[in-house]
Amino acid sequence: MGEVTEGDNGKVNGGGGGGGGGEGEVRVLVVDDSAVDRRIVEGLLKRSGTMFEVIAVDSGKKAMEILGLNEGKAESPTVNDKKIDIILTDYCMPEMTGYDLLKAVKEQSCPKSIPVVIMSSENEPQRINRCRAIGADDFILKPLQTKDVQKLRSYATSMALASKAGTKRKMPLDLMGENSGSERIPHLAGVAVA
Amino acid sequence: MAATALREQLNGLVNSMFAEGLLDQQFQQLQMLQDGSTPGFVAEVVTLFCEDSERILTELTKLMDQAVVDYSKVDAYVHQLKGSSSSVGAQNVKLACIQFRQFCEENNKEGCVRALNVVKHEYCHLRSKFETMLQLESRIQAYENKQQN
Repeated sequence: MGEVTEGDNGKVNGGGGGGGGGEGEVRVLVVDDSAVDRRIVEGLLKRSGTMFEVIAVDSGKKAMEILGLNEGKAESPTVNDKKIDIILTDYCMPEMTGYDLLKAVKEQSCPKSIPVVIMSSENEPQRINRCRAIGADDFILKPLQTKDVQKLRSYATSMALASKAGTKRKMPLDLMGENSGSERIPHLAGVAVA
Repeated sequence: MAATALREQLNGLVNSMFAEGLLDQQFQQLQMLQDGSTPGFVAEVVTLFCEDSERILTELTKLMDQAVVDYSKVDAYVHQLKGSSSSVGAQNVKLACIQFRQFCEENNKEGCVRALNVVKHEYCHLRSKFETMLQLESRIQAYENKQQN
């Protein structure tokens, strides 16, 4: 495995049995005006065994700042120079709803679109369809449970790997080597996935 | 061993809360998230829930005291409380909130006043059990820390 040169790869091999299939952390931006829900989602993400790094904010406005989307700036979404891999947002929030945030994220012209997952306590087909129609990648019903985060994990991991493959790695074979322990991403065999 | 007796007491308390319908299986999800590396997780979430609930109940009381009630504001707060109680598994509080929202929708002041009292009652009942739960957890933790040293 001599080609693996990135400094943080030690994490993958030393990561233990959690099935951590990523070559680094998956950075999740959690947006929810409820402090209780933010803490629970953070707990679920951290306990799921994947290397999730959680950034939690209480409003769509703060999320936009973190993503660098305020004032029409079309920067790459970063926090301290590291990109957000997935946005997990509540639907019902004052001022800027999850729908508004979703729209703003999907409208910005970034080469790589960040997956946005909506959380909601209401199981309304119309709401779900509206969100999917403008590009929501998934819709999870509250209260969140372990199984919901597991679903998120495989989804976010493959997106994160695909994007990291594009930006950091020139040799997909390295990913194959790292992920030999993970059954989750067989499609990466020699092929960069968009 | 004192810690064992305390554990039994704690388990008994939590089981009775499930049996009474104070808690539902969502609380079990939270318990599963607590482990050696996050020993205070349940306590933290419960504390956040109580602080949040009390804030909301205070606002609701003020709103219901108005001569003309703003039902959309009331509903917004009840929706918040329903959400957080659902997330922690506080079943009776959640159910009381659902009832409350019905009355809001009907703009039924009397119904809302009664519903608010039910929510407060359910919340207080739950809070006192939560307090005992957290005290027991904290005493157990203290014993376990002592034994490790």
